[in-house]
Amino acid sequence: MAKAQDIDVAPSEPYRHAAARVVRVRAAELFDAADGVLDTRDIERVHDMRVASRRLRAVLEIFAPCFPQGEFKGVLRDVKQLADALGERRDPDVHIDALTAFSKSLAAANKPGVARLIEELRARQSRANELLAAELDRAQQRGLHERLLALADAAEAEPEP
Amino acid sequence: MKARRVKGLDPDGTLADNAERIVLVRLDELCSFMPAAADPDEVVALHDMRIAAKRLRYVLEVTGPCFGPYAKTATKHVKELQDLLGEIHDCDVQIPETSAFAERLQGADAAALREAAGAADDLEPALLKQAPHAREHAGAAALATHLRARRLLLFDRFLELWAGYERKGFPARLEYAVSERSDVHNSQAG
Repeated sequence: MAKAQDIDVAPSEPYRHAAARVVRVRAAELFDAADGVLDTRDIERVHDMRVASRRLRAVLEIFAPCFPQGEFKGVLRDVKQLADALGERRDPDVHIDALTAFSKSLAAANKPGVARLIEELRARQSRANELLAAELDRAQQRGLHERLLALADAAEAEPEP
Repeated sequence: MKARRVKGLDPDGTLADNAERIVLVRLDELCSFMPAAADPDEVVALHDMRIAAKRLRYVLEVTGPCFGPYAKTATKHVKELQDLLGEIHDCDVQIPETSAFAERLQGADAAALREAAGAADDLEPALLKQAPHAREHAGAAALATHLRARRLLLFDRFLELWAGYERKGFPARLEYAVSERSDVHNSQAG
């Protein structure tokens, strides 16, 4: 799993300056993890992107007061929607992986039932992958990365007197 | 579970002062699920505790270096707790899914056997061999049993883990740590 980048923070730096820096890093991590995420043969890719989406969502919530509220709410909603789509894909991935490992230690008489359940989960995985593909397109069309960077810029800008 | 609102956050204040407020609220939120979550039937409390652990973990991951050294230890504890609660949650999701799967197999077989019986007065038990999913019931039952037993085991581990944290004074030590300020990165402040 891709480890989140350590971000230097200083106790005495302004909250909003930290917000800008942390959101830029976590947003880059999310979009960097998008490569090959729809390939169901390598489930670690969707796992990495899902974890990145959770970290990004978490930092948006931690630094929420630092952002212009109108833009922030829309961006947070879109990040949540993308995170949900990643979660829907990840759930059958995990279940299939666990069942495949579990099946190896089963008596022969118990294997067909587990194989049948895996088959059902593969269908669910495929449907979830289609939804994720649509959600990735939507995030791109709505300029989610650019909007996240704009939020970071706004947090960093000196407040008007 | 909706996160509890953190009052008094100030974008122009320091990161550490704001993060301290957030950590204290998230820590209180986490601890508030005990002792309710110690009841194995309180699935919702345990699920909410997992979400609370996740929120505390992420705020500590980002802001932990601002605080005293125990913040790093606490981050590891919270991650361990969140991972374990996640494993229990997976069981709580998969147990009903597996039951529903077994139910679907039984329902499909019952319908098929009814059709096979045709105009008979009663259902011949020997027909069971012809059930389309006859070979699959055993696996579904074995999986359900495994998941239930694993849930019991993981839950016992959770109780031990939490008791250990309490013995080590985890909440009080984290509260103290967030009142301290590290000096490692002070040169970066600006």
